[in-house]
Amino acid sequence: MPSPAPDIVFAGIGAACGLGFGKASLIDGLLAGRDVFSTLQRPGRQAPDGVAPFLGIEMADPPSLLPARVERTAGLAARVAISVVDEAWREAGLDNVDPERIGLVVGGSNVFSREIALLARDYAARPNFVPPRAGHALLDSEIGGLLASHFAIRGFTLGIGAASASGAVAILQAAAAIRSGRVDACIALGALQDLSAMDLLGMRALGALGAPRFADRPGQACRPFDRDHDGFVFGESCAALVLCRADLAGPGYGTLIGAAHVADGQRGPEPDGTGQRRAIAQALAQAGLRPQEVDYVNAHATSTPKGDDVEADTLVACGLDHAWVNATKSIIGHGLAAAGAIEVAALLLQMRDGQLHPTRNLDNPIVPPLRHVIGGAQSCHLRHALKTSFGFGGIDTALVIRGAS
Amino acid sequence: MDRDTILAVIVGQIREVVPELAERPIVETESMAELGLDSIERSEIIMNTLEAIGLDLPMVQLHGPKNLGELADLLHAKSRT
Repeated sequence: MPSPAPDIVFAGIGAACGLGFGKASLIDGLLAGRDVFSTLQRPGRQAPDGVAPFLGIEMADPPSLLPARVERTAGLAARVAISVVDEAWREAGLDNVDPERIGLVVGGSNVFSREIALLARDYAARPNFVPPRAGHALLDSEIGGLLASHFAIRGFTLGIGAASASGAVAILQAAAAIRSGRVDACIALGALQDLSAMDLLGMRALGALGAPRFADRPGQACRPFDRDHDGFVFGESCAALVLCRADLAGPGYGTLIGAAHVADGQRGPEPDGTGQRRAIAQALAQAGLRPQEVDYVNAHATSTPKGDDVEADTLVACGLDHAWVNATKSIIGHGLAAAGAIEVAALLLQMRDGQLHPTRNLDNPIVPPLRHVIGGAQSCHLRHALKTSFGFGGIDTALVIRGAS
Repeated sequence: MDRDTILAVIVGQIREVVPELAERPIVETESMAELGLDSIERSEIIMNTLEAIGLDLPMVQLHGPKNLGELADLLHAKSRT
């Protein structure tokens, strides 16, 4: 008989980003503070003529893990999802779990946007020849469908959309599914957000997209918490985390001891300190921790002036100014749907290593002061860590994780 | 386009959609179902073939053929009308 509230651990990690495929390339690249920023080049994502180029990070082609007849029909976001789930699945030993006790939560919406734009372009003049796959393989449900057709997932699949907090909300929903007894293990995926040029133009028009000041220096454009920050810089990424009942999986990378997700009432991109503080307070209360017991914060920290300013105020107001803080987006860019998941992966890998990666380009920190990791990797023993993740549409999340050792 | 050329186009499209069949001999007495193609793959192959031979027909007009040879015969007949 399952216990009513089992501890939930992170038993497996799979990751892909501009640093490479696999979590080893993620942690190595983060600790080294590698610069992989460039100009976005994928078809359907390049800036139109006469428009300033889009800066960011694109990943290499994913490894071929699907049968050829399936792979040719799968979009980039789906193929990358297969590769990260494969890595996390093997590490967590999910082949030994009853498929009906395994769930999947896919975080992300509109994830095939660039490929939809290409299809519209390519078939505008020959609409009777649109490929039949376009009728299902460009829906967000494709990711869950393809994953469950390739891996033995028979508990449930679920897609959730929470803008840039999608990866974190996927973790929250996966944990809730385990806690409720619905499944014993649940994969939380932060899907690759395959942005189109139109998406980027809209975000630029909104004022959210960084780079005007550093257009000719891509490596310096993403600078969370720095006085010269001027907007987020996109970075392709994707991560899968296998959450599992601790009594079935052992300690894994760490235990999710607090998780909160609140609505702050904003419709659009405006950050809201009240909602952020409420999410952090709820997560800490659930974890039974006082703020001073948090050793490290992996911040949402997008490099947008308003976002960074409000988050810095939030962390100070929550009594977290003693904790180490870093911004993973300064190295891998902003993965949007994937951000919350790959940044939790980064948090767990750093906790296991006992090392924190630096925040790149943090030359002149904004006020209020935080305990930033600057310059190079920092060795430290981390018992408890906090992950913040926020999304357009007034979504504020906070996760509290206790390290495994 | 003659009937055997249309048949070759169909076979080429089958191998494009299902690369696993690249090396397998395919004969006109076989059906796409016998080759293990699912319904979406079959639709894609027929649409790709129609476009390749310059025919723009509703799919509903292409029901009936029992194998690749009969499909080639039907497409050949349609292409002449």
